[in-house]
Amino acid sequence: MEPPATTIERDGRGAVAHLHGDLVMPRIREVYAALRAVARQREVATLVLDFSDAGRLDSSGVAVVTLIGRQLAGGGRRLDLAHLGEQHRAALALAPAPVERAEPAAPAEDAPEASGWWRWPGWIERLGERVADAGASVRAFAGLTAATCRQLAVVVARRARMPAGALRHHIEVMGAGAIFVVALLSFLTGMTMAFQGAVQLQRFGAGVFVADLIGMSMVRELVPLMTAVIITGRTGAAIAAELGTMRARSEIDALATMGIDPVRFLIVPRMIAITAIGPALTLMGIFVGVLGGMLVAAGTLDMPPVTFWSRVVDRVTLWDFAHGLGKSLVFAWIIGLSGSHLGMRASGDAGSVGTATTRTVVVSVFSIIVVDALFATITTYTRHL
Amino acid sequence: MTGGGDIVLACRDLSVGYERPVLEHVDLSIGRGEIVALLGGSGCGKSTLLRTLVGLLPPLAGTVELFGRPLYELPLDDRNRLLARTGTAFQQDALFGSMTLEDNIALPLCELTRVPAPVVAEMVRMRLALVGLAGLEHRLPGELSGGQRKRAALARASILDPELMFCDEPSAGLDPAVAAGIDETLLQFRAVLGITLAVVSHELESIRTIADRAVLFADGGIRAAGTIDELSRSRDPEVFGFFHRVAERPRGPASIAT
Repeated sequence: MEPPATTIERDGRGAVAHLHGDLVMPRIREVYAALRAVARQREVATLVLDFSDAGRLDSSGVAVVTLIGRQLAGGGRRLDLAHLGEQHRAALALAPAPVERAEPAAPAEDAPEASGWWRWPGWIERLGERVADAGASVRAFAGLTAATCRQLAVVVARRARMPAGALRHHIEVMGAGAIFVVALLSFLTGMTMAFQGAVQLQRFGAGVFVADLIGMSMVRELVPLMTAVIITGRTGAAIAAELGTMRARSEIDALATMGIDPVRFLIVPRMIAITAIGPALTLMGIFVGVLGGMLVAAGTLDMPPVTFWSRVVDRVTLWDFAHGLGKSLVFAWIIGLSGSHLGMRASGDAGSVGTATTRTVVVSVFSIIVVDALFATITTYTRHL
Repeated sequence: MTGGGDIVLACRDLSVGYERPVLEHVDLSIGRGEIVALLGGSGCGKSTLLRTLVGLLPPLAGTVELFGRPLYELPLDDRNRLLARTGTAFQQDALFGSMTLEDNIALPLCELTRVPAPVVAEMVRMRLALVGLAGLEHRLPGELSGGQRKRAALARASILDPELMFCDEPSAGLDPAVAAGIDETLLQFRAVLGITLAVVSHELESIRTIADRAVLFADGGIRAAGTIDELSRSRDPEVFGFFHRVAERPRGPASIAT
């Protein structure tokens, strides 16, 4: 077991803290806690830090000495340093003079600063390059998905942390900001469906089935799809633009060289947030959409809301909800991963950020519709859902 | 090319580039406590080499050893731990635009260590004072001048007291007084914190002030290496031209007969 970094000796109104071993970042929490405990005792008028047995002093050690000195000075007390070595003196030269006030900010010195495919020679090469690029992009996408799952597992297993406050921030921006637009569009869609359905169904004396129509279409199809398109426009594009800009400004490279995994730091919080808000917004949209249909049914078909609601509850099963919410989860991951992948692949210029944003919207909407068709085909043939 | 003492960085028969090599057969070592300048004209591949040395671009051939361990043969977690012992200041500063200066500089401490919050704040204050930015903790990077942003990037790169620090063009595009201030800061990093420095630059004044040794890259490889005095006296036309500011002439036949 490692010996303690500090031993404290009390002598009347004085105290001596004997420092042992290196005063470096991995041990600094223990040192700071011990010295702060002494500094908090009001009866200690003078604290002497004895460096005779101390090893190397790094920036955190210097910071602790400075901090404790300031805490004592604030109460009119004193900190003395004894038996300083040469390395200790050199390191303590880092301690700054007290800062009175901030200087005014200086003005910025400097602001951040084709050919036709059919032309011979080279169109075959260019076609080949595009195919190779597409292959590389698919491989990179698969790699990013695997890395995201791995880092997600690391975070869930509490072997690493997400940046403080990042999840709350993303949920607020992605979720809270989208509530109004999803609710309004779901309400209007429910109303429109009810108007159209009522007119057609009344011709066959089947107006009462408008509740079935609204319930099933809202839960299984319309709201999950519409919410996904709204999230693509708001959130997917924002993810691509943010990450693309960070890539252009070398911020992602900076994280990597610090030894901080960019996937854990940037993508995992966004993926967790979008995983939560996709189904949550869909669920809210379903209820608001059904409400819109219910109001129209009451107005045009004189169908009491209780009747409408009980028909919806009879017709729509838990499996239908699972189908709709399951789809919304898959859509959310498509949007999040597409935005992250294309944002991370942006090159260093502003144009590539715009391209990444546009491609995120196109790729996400295209993939969502393809996956939606797959869901419909599979569930129709298996008839389980 | 070898430095003295304990070797912190070693490259063996290294080739770097994107698909095609820009630099080949690079053998280079940097000893603890040295300041080594990596020199060369624009486009010679020194920034590409730097990307490989800091773990961003796998080499096309050869090995990079950081602190005696092969960087690109390690699992990701081990590689990240090794990189956390280095610091990198990018040419473009790479500060996070949405974070204050304090948050930018504290980021590696908060992410990679368990240093208590008051100590983190004190370390940030101390480091900002060292680079001459005391009192600007709460500014956003966009509210700083170019020179201030460069110094902030140096503060962030050095906050973990790295054993080895890479700087890409630390004083490029700055006025002479600000550039001299940056040089002074780098010298302080070595003197006070014991940091070894690999500095990519083509600023002659700066190199003369700070570097113990220099390696000059040209024509796809190392052209010359040695102390600054040795290189200044070299008779090699490429080296002479670089150190004595002789204008580079276009290669190939002259287009206008006189």
